[in-house]
Amino acid sequence: MQPTSSPDIVLKAQDIHKSFGPTEVLKGISLEARNHDVISILGASGSGKSTFLRCLNFLEVPTSGTVSVHGEEIVVRKDRPGDPRQIERIRQHLGMVFQQFNLWSHRTVLENVMEGPVQVKRRSKAEAQDQAEALLARVGLADRMSMYPSQLSGGQQQRVAIARALAMEPDVILFDEPTSALDPELVGEVLKVMQDLAAEGRTMIVVTHEMDFAREVSTEVMFLHEGRVAERGPTDKLFDNPDSEAFARFISKIR
Amino acid sequence: MALIEILTQYWPKILDGAGTTLLLTGMGAVFAAIFAPLLALIRAHGSALAQAPVRLYISFIRGTPILAQLFLVFYGSGQFRPELQSLGLWHFFRDPFNCAVLVFAINSCAYQSEIMRGGIQSVAPGEIEAARAIGMSRLQVLRRVIFPHAYRNAWPALGNEVILLMKASALASVVTVFDLMGQTRLIFSRTFDFSAYFWAAVLYLTITACFVFVWRTIERRLSRHMLGRSPKGAL
Repeated sequence: MQPTSSPDIVLKAQDIHKSFGPTEVLKGISLEARNHDVISILGASGSGKSTFLRCLNFLEVPTSGTVSVHGEEIVVRKDRPGDPRQIERIRQHLGMVFQQFNLWSHRTVLENVMEGPVQVKRRSKAEAQDQAEALLARVGLADRMSMYPSQLSGGQQQRVAIARALAMEPDVILFDEPTSALDPELVGEVLKVMQDLAAEGRTMIVVTHEMDFAREVSTEVMFLHEGRVAERGPTDKLFDNPDSEAFARFISKIR
Repeated sequence: MALIEILTQYWPKILDGAGTTLLLTGMGAVFAAIFAPLLALIRAHGSALAQAPVRLYISFIRGTPILAQLFLVFYGSGQFRPELQSLGLWHFFRDPFNCAVLVFAINSCAYQSEIMRGGIQSVAPGEIEAARAIGMSRLQVLRRVIFPHAYRNAWPALGNEVILLMKASALASVVTVFDLMGQTRLIFSRTFDFSAYFWAAVLYLTITACFVFVWRTIERRLSRHMLGRSPKGAL
């Protein structure tokens, strides 16, 4: 499957390789996300899916390969982003939600959500606060705004983290195993928010272990096996009729 | 009642000395605090080449007595009087108070840098990544995430360092600065009354106690987000 250029492609990664020392974790992975795509990236632990996601916004710098957002290729120089201004600008279009939430523990819930718009987008505080309050109400945390992250449950923290990503009005949101650090009874509330986002047409790339989510919500699934794409395609086709033995084994194990 | 007599007769001098002690310590600590974050950053994130001079400076300062450093600057500068005069710096080095502030600043900066380095290195990497992922510049990440946490982490140790510096400032009296210790020695040399030292001790203790109170109040403010996570209950 060779990626082709098209105007509604938001994010495109081509032939991403990543090595940590002598270990090659990613062995040439490509991906194209169009507007409104919800792409789930599946794979056993160690298959490279989180590393690949982190390469998309250059939290991890690919050893080789290119990433472009809206057709603009991220410049690389040696093993770091070539132009700090460029990567800072592009990251504003790529929201990210982490496995460990990574909220700023010294700021309140409201301040966490306002931080990006005020500091990075230079919005006025009043405007940012209105927006943050609306977003927090949306993820069901209107009554938690003045609390600190340590006073919230994991599920609540992750919903704040989603609101924080949304506040930047990103074109794509990257989710790095957003429910893996949660107690089982808290997974649902986070998945519900993500499902709503998908329903309103947000472009999302989701690294996950939640098979039901991948199956019901995503438009496309990509299965990584030992640093390579072992299988990819439209969700329905893949789950009903997998081509690769690795993916067939994977889904049978999970069920 | 020699204890009271010393106080009634010499209290203006003792207070004046205490003021000088506060000034010496305060200026030394503040000048050190201006440069310490930068050196700490170099120690935490700099290249080996950038770290080398900082390491050298820190090990020199930590490895030699502060009294020796004071002598080096105060008496040593006299050796270079013509050069310092031509640079217009002799005026500065001639005054023992200036020399003492300089030495205390240089000395405390080394310790504060090491304390801040620890503070910087214990910031959760995830919070830094979240800041980068949202598009913050390096400077913004430092200002909005790393340093707020680093100062909170380092706060108790920084307070400790200031207290140690305050007590070390008594050494300035050896190079003829009339700080609290200097005034006390002067009083003792006139009266041979040991109680002068008693009052000096009371004042040092008072200064420390007030400082600790202020420092703890600020610490509580900095720790607002940690309420409910105090280790009190855990033990």
